[in-house]
Amino acid sequence: MSTTSQKHRDFVGEPMGDKEVTALSGIGEILGKKLEQQGFDKAYVVLGQFLLLKKDTEMFTDWLKDASGANSRQAGTCAQCLKEWCDAFL
Amino acid sequence: MSQFVENPAHLSKSRLKSDLVAHSVELPPVKSKKEVYVGLHLQHIGQKNAVDFSSDEEDQVQDVSDKEEDTEMPDPSGLTDDDLKAALLEHGVKAGPIVASTRALYEKKLRKLLQSNGHGCLNGVEKGVLYSDSEEEEENGEEEDRELGSEGEKEETVKQSDQAQQGSSQVELCFQNGGFVYPQCFLLSSRLFPSGSQSVMPDGESSMSSQAFSITHMVEEMESRRSLSTSSDTERALNGSNVQKHWSRSNRLDMPIVDTMKNQSLYYTPKASSYEWKMKLTQEPVKDTVKNMFPNTDATTTGIYATRRRPIKGAAGRPVQYAYPDTPVSPTTLEKREVERRLVPIQIQILVFLIVTCLLYLIYVCVEDNSFGPSVALLDRFYQGSDSEEGLLLQAETQDVPAPSRQE
Repeated sequence: MSTTSQKHRDFVGEPMGDKEVTALSGIGEILGKKLEQQGFDKAYVVLGQFLLLKKDTEMFTDWLKDASGANSRQAGTCAQCLKEWCDAFL
Repeated sequence: MSQFVENPAHLSKSRLKSDLVAHSVELPPVKSKKEVYVGLHLQHIGQKNAVDFSSDEEDQVQDVSDKEEDTEMPDPSGLTDDDLKAALLEHGVKAGPIVASTRALYEKKLRKLLQSNGHGCLNGVEKGVLYSDSEEEEENGEEEDRELGSEGEKEETVKQSDQAQQGSSQVELCFQNGGFVYPQCFLLSSRLFPSGSQSVMPDGESSMSSQAFSITHMVEEMESRRSLSTSSDTERALNGSNVQKHWSRSNRLDMPIVDTMKNQSLYYTPKASSYEWKMKLTQEPVKDTVKNMFPNTDATTTGIYATRRRPIKGAAGRPVQYAYPDTPVSPTTLEKREVERRLVPIQIQILVFLIVTCLLYLIYVCVEDNSFGPSVALLDRFYQGSDSEEGLLLQAETQDVPAPSRQE
């Protein structure tokens, strides 16, 4: 049994399309608002940032912690979620 | 401004270039080193400092240039994107595009790398000093403090402390400044190696299983250490590192545990049975040992979750389902069945059809056929049947009629 959550599975299971930032695993209401304030209003924008960092989960977690104030667990979950999405669809 | 001009070696390459151009001096080839620029600068422009320190000029220039090359422009925020990328590449980091959003991250990374390099260099020198001149403690203390530079308070404390204590304080200083990670690493590694050698590994196993064994042996050692009740520092260090390790490996722990169980089962049951048998056989004893290993897991959440695998149907005492439910019927077949029930069965339909055809044929024969043979015979038969009946009736009537007629 994997340790992924239902949110993670929902996100990774299909193309993200126009989903909101809060659809990302690990990103809740508060973090979502903070990201939107910075201009990351959709999940694909965050994906863009992830790709800019060459899909490096460590750098992405650092960035996310700086940008939104996420803790290590949340940032790690989000990075893992995006990585798996990329593996499946990119 | 010329009075306050520094030594040309302190100027940046671009500044030297612009100075040379301003004095209409021919620029050397673009990729030449800074020393060339400095030399040209000194040659053509001529500085006060250069004149004064003529003898030490080259040494200074070389030292400064070497220093600058070593530190590699220590201000990441002042670098251009390309320079930042090059600097990161020198440290072995392949950076992606340096854009507005990524620049801060890469600068931070470069700073970290520079700091770790600097610390590494400093530590090497410190330890060399420590171990080389152990007798002259005062001098060592002063040299170290000068090299440390940043923490002036510690200089004073070290100077003021007794000579007897200086050795330990120096060691503490080294450890404190040399990075908090190192003592734990040393402790861990020292424990890992003996544990690794003690582990039962008859074959040259893969690295994965060796890692798995080290985890289990570390865990066993934790248990033994708890029972012995060692110092709190080592426990804390171990737990901290273990928590980190287990946290990072919590996702992958299922695999190593599975592998360890598999390997152990190989020793327990030499006969090759199915994989599920192995799992079930070793599951109970492993589970108990796991429970025994972590009697006080609540205190330190190591994050190990050994979930029990679902037993196979029919093997673990679960009753096998013999009665299977009816096959699902599609709605179209249901409709067909209903329709068939209401209509008359086919066989009866055929019978009726045959009887009707026979009757029709007879009628056709009677009507169409002109020859009297068969039809007359048929008709006579019919009429005979009917005549006989009528005849009887007539005789009955005639007997009745003459009777009443006689009576008149």
